Amino acid sequence: MNALHDKHLVRGVDHAAFPTFDPVGTVRFYRDVLGFPVVHSICAAGWGPEKHPDFIHFFFDIGNGDRIAFFYYFGLEPLPGGRGDAYAQFDDDVPEFFLGSRHLALSVESEDSLNEYQRRLDDSEWATEMRVQHETIESIYTHDPNGYIVEITRALRPVTPQEDVDANLTIDALVDVVSRGDASIHALLNRKAELIVERSDDWDTLLAQPEATS
Amino acid sequence: MTLRRVGLIVPSSNVTVETELPQLLRRQEGLDVSFHSSRMRMTAVTPAGLAAMNVQRERCVMEVADAGPDVLLYACLVALMAGEHEEHQRVESLVAEQLATGQSPTLVRSSAGALLEALEALSVRRVALVTPYMAPLARKVVDYIEHEGFEVADYRALEVEDNHAVGCIEGSRVMAAARELDLTGVDAVVLSACVQMPSLSLIADAEQELGLPVISAATAGAFSILRALNLPAAVANAGSLLMSGTDLYDSAATAHDSINLGVVR
Amino acid sequence: MASVYFLDVPENRPVVEVAERSQQVHVTKNGPYFEISAAEPFEIDRRATGARHAVWYSCVAGIRGFRIAGWDKNSLRFEIQS
Repeated sequence: MNALHDKHLVRGVDHAAFPTFDPVGTVRFYRDVLGFPVVHSICAAGWGPEKHPDFIHFFFDIGNGDRIAFFYYFGLEPLPGGRGDAYAQFDDDVPEFFLGSRHLALSVESEDSLNEYQRRLDDSEWATEMRVQHETIESIYTHDPNGYIVEITRALRPVTPQEDVDANLTIDALVDVVSRGDASIHALLNRKAELIVERSDDWDTLLAQPEATS
Repeated sequence: MTLRRVGLIVPSSNVTVETELPQLLRRQEGLDVSFHSSRMRMTAVTPAGLAAMNVQRERCVMEVADAGPDVLLYACLVALMAGEHEEHQRVESLVAEQLATGQSPTLVRSSAGALLEALEALSVRRVALVTPYMAPLARKVVDYIEHEGFEVADYRALEVEDNHAVGCIEGSRVMAAARELDLTGVDAVVLSACVQMPSLSLIADAEQELGLPVISAATAGAFSILRALNLPAAVANAGSLLMSGTDLYDSAATAHDSINLGVVR
Repeated sequence: MASVYFLDVPENRPVVEVAERSQQVHVTKNGPYFEISAAEPFEIDRRATGARHAVWYSCVAGIRGFRIAGWDKNSLRFEIQS
């Protein structure tokens, strides 16, 4: 046991890395269209047990010092397949919603900022494909040159402590119902109601420490 | 005998590193060693010449790493010490990151870092230096060493700008400069704070004459490489540093240990 | 009595207010949740709430003794669980 054992220590994204077969498009999209500065690059080869092509690993700043990074392998051809992105290709039997599930969402502080990024995208060959208001956020979406879905989002209002409590309760219920082999939304909502009743006496504590879980 | 491979990144006009380091490490007991170099184009030791050289670093790392060395020495001291303070740590980290990104297990050292490591190992507080550089560059090297916590009591700059000429400086001239140094309260002498200025044949005699530990960029580099390879320093006739076995390893700077974790990016 | 829970956030309030118009339901507060209790089935009409679809489809936090008999873009119906 040490002084850090129960602390939440991570500080955001150092970098999230993806392969690319189109470094020219990738640089145009992130640096020239979106205006994300190039902040680092490394060239290297396969020096480890697995032999692979020479490659370059390059980084764009996505705010807060966080970075999105790409690997470009010299001479490597795109993998065969029809649907998906540079990393993964899928058959026709994989549904569209599943392909659309994995994405990177970047945050902005204001409607003006969101509008500005929409303008930059709409002036490029990667126009905004969708603009959506969810419950508490507003987002724009496009696919980058590699087929990766990029979302830019802003909060319409701050997340409240009761939403954090509710999220924790939802996840506890989800783990319970999936663990017992009863994975359905009906089972989840029933289990959540049970947990709401169970925790009725503890709201003051839970709302005071929204990050605490049972 | 263990066969170990040592990678070297050297300025293109340097002829001394690839002479002195093999001479030293081939005298090390229990070590069979090969050397694999890549060269950064550089002829004049000027700020512009050094900047032009540094942009070649990534290519050189690629070339040397392909040979799979156990340890890589970035062997241009002044290229790093003429930069910002702590430049050697920055460059060693960048090289380590580049190697780790390609999953290379090669360890990284620099002659600048090795000189500081040797001073630390010898528990030096006050040091005196002989350098071949022009006065402004020598001043930068002195500032750099002082920023690392060592007091430079006295130094000589031999003011040779052409790097090829640096490789031909007579030993008698180096020793003459060393004899002029004010050694009051000094713990060690750096006979050549430059991997290009030859000094290996002078070290043992200079230690006798001056009565102090005498090191050079080359002996410090060899010490750092042996320590990286986990071999007790046992090189005869090159100064006490290189006959110290493992006695000085504990006290040597450990900054390297934190940057060679081989992190998979 | 069976119950349905809605988290108390601004977006959900119109949903709870519309539900409350049904004669047969009783609304109380349970910590951060509205608890809507009833002994018989009831229905909420989205159009009366003005809720956007994203809000509509995520407004229910929990159900006890009810089952969701129908939940489409305009109607959310609860029936007593048999």
